[in-house]
Amino acid sequence: MNGAHFVVKALQQQGVKQVFGYPGGAIMPVYDALYDCGVDHLLCRHEQGAAMAAIGYARSTGGVGVCIATSGPGATNLITGLADALLDSVPIVAITGQVASPLIGTDAFQEVDVLGMSLSCTKHSFMVQRAEDLGSVIAQAFEVARSGRPGPVLVDIPKDIQLAAVEHACITHSVSEPDAPELSDITAARELLGQAKKPLLYVGGGVTLAHAEAELRDFLAKTKMPSMTTLKGIGTIAPEQYAFLGMVGMHGTKAANFAVQEADLLVVAGARFDDRVTGKLDEFAVNAKVIHLDIDAAELGKLRKADVAIAADLKQVLPQLAMPLDIDDWQQHTIAMRQEYHWRYDHPGEAIYAPLLLKQLSDMAPKNTVVACDVGQHQMWVAQHIEFDSPHDHLSSSGLGTMGFGVPAAVGAQVARPHDTVIAVSGDGSFMMNVQELGTIKRRKLPVKILLIDNQRLGMVRQWQQLFFEGRYSETILTDNPDFVALAAAFDIPGETIVVKEQVQPALERMLNSKGAYILHVAISEEENVWPLVPPGAANDKMMEEC
Amino acid sequence: MLHHLTVTAQHSPELLERVLRVMRHRGFSVQNMQMNLDSDNQQVELHVAVASERAIALLTAQLTKLIGVTAVSLTDRTAEPKLAVV
Repeated sequence: MNGAHFVVKALQQQGVKQVFGYPGGAIMPVYDALYDCGVDHLLCRHEQGAAMAAIGYARSTGGVGVCIATSGPGATNLITGLADALLDSVPIVAITGQVASPLIGTDAFQEVDVLGMSLSCTKHSFMVQRAEDLGSVIAQAFEVARSGRPGPVLVDIPKDIQLAAVEHACITHSVSEPDAPELSDITAARELLGQAKKPLLYVGGGVTLAHAEAELRDFLAKTKMPSMTTLKGIGTIAPEQYAFLGMVGMHGTKAANFAVQEADLLVVAGARFDDRVTGKLDEFAVNAKVIHLDIDAAELGKLRKADVAIAADLKQVLPQLAMPLDIDDWQQHTIAMRQEYHWRYDHPGEAIYAPLLLKQLSDMAPKNTVVACDVGQHQMWVAQHIEFDSPHDHLSSSGLGTMGFGVPAAVGAQVARPHDTVIAVSGDGSFMMNVQELGTIKRRKLPVKILLIDNQRLGMVRQWQQLFFEGRYSETILTDNPDFVALAAAFDIPGETIVVKEQVQPALERMLNSKGAYILHVAISEEENVWPLVPPGAANDKMMEEC
Repeated sequence: MLHHLTVTAQHSPELLERVLRVMRHRGFSVQNMQMNLDSDNQQVELHVAVASERAIALLTAQLTKLIGVTAVSLTDRTAEPKLAVV
């Protein structure tokens, strides 16, 4: 057995059945080993697409995604995907070929120092220097990717190591258990909970990463505490949950943004006070004490001092804080805010109104539908107007905000969950960023639905130019877009264009009922903006609204 | 403000880059540095003086997370290590 076959065996030992990638010279031995090994490889049409498909696979299942690329440009094309996974704490393992060991450092053909490049965009990275280390390195890579706060791991393997003879051995890496929370911290947190009159639960993506959704639901059932989520936390709390206020932050709900400014205690579960959540940090939740719960100790006190900071597994700590609270008045107040500030879908004229379109999609889509977003206005409209039963159903590039994420992430999700409906909601700007992945959809005949919301603009930038740059629309006008339906047709993907409201319902039905892939191209006005908006440098309760 | 750190880690070819990158990215400027490798090239001890207006705990927490870093301690010029982070 050579090193490449050993790599594939090591992947199989980790339970890997699906990988995404693109072959090339320095990774050819691994591709030879993949040829008849039983691990399914999906050829993406760009390495960035492969990385984002691996992210979509991981996020839609809660497992680890795997992508493979060659050296040099293959490896550099993975970098944006790795950074995306790092910012959103997604466990993926990226395997890259490297030029042969004697050539490293000679500026050989397709040589790049990917280990050096990986330092700022991975949780950890390895270069394998001896064939006998392959087993332990692959095992460590998976352990690092999924343990603690998950993240991307890169394994760079020189071609001579892939070709070297290796003895096959079953190698695993021990899983380190996180420390249990200190009793004194639990006691202090329970004291704060008992004293609070206006507590608010602030839920981030960390709850799902800890597989602690059930513990969170129990916590809410016992405390009946009002709650809100970050973009990554969407789907963790059922929309009908008692006193759930929706998403907080720049494009969050008015109820969440007002409530957080009134709260006297924030219970922060797996969230990190991101600037898109807090607005002006000094004025965020100024009346609140903070209980901060996170597996990553480095997040505690990073941006906001916590009165009680507990670095622990949320699965362990949440049950210890679940206690009945005497907060009836506050509950009723927040419920009243939720009712007062609900979304409105009345909109004049015949033009299609994107929030209503997405609300209709939310109402019509089957249970367990996965929505993979791109980045921009449509991403915020999805967050606001589609209801999710599970955080694994909402794939949105939250931390890095990577345009081009939606279609390849949908590819990964569709491969992972072949029996569920998967919809990529994209904008005309984002769609063109990874449009080559239509070829991947065609190749595997994946039934991915694409809802392309087209305002012939880079909409979110245009919105900011309108509001904050005196309407100087610098390089955001895309009236020269291609014919998207014809473009999709070139990849055997049927579709249609709609332009008025009355076309929406039947078109969504056709899209959802199509057996294969489908593109629904929706023309909307370039004047449509995302509201409300917390402007830069403002507190969350200083939201701008549509005039 | 100047802080003196001792970082202990398993040796790897890129270890120094990893540690220095985190220091730069998190807003700490290296003023002085000494690296010692043990006799069997397994363990590295870095003594680093860093300057920043930011709280040093923000840096020690990030260094502690690095895979292979086994201890981060903060010292002053006159005292023995007073904070063992790992």
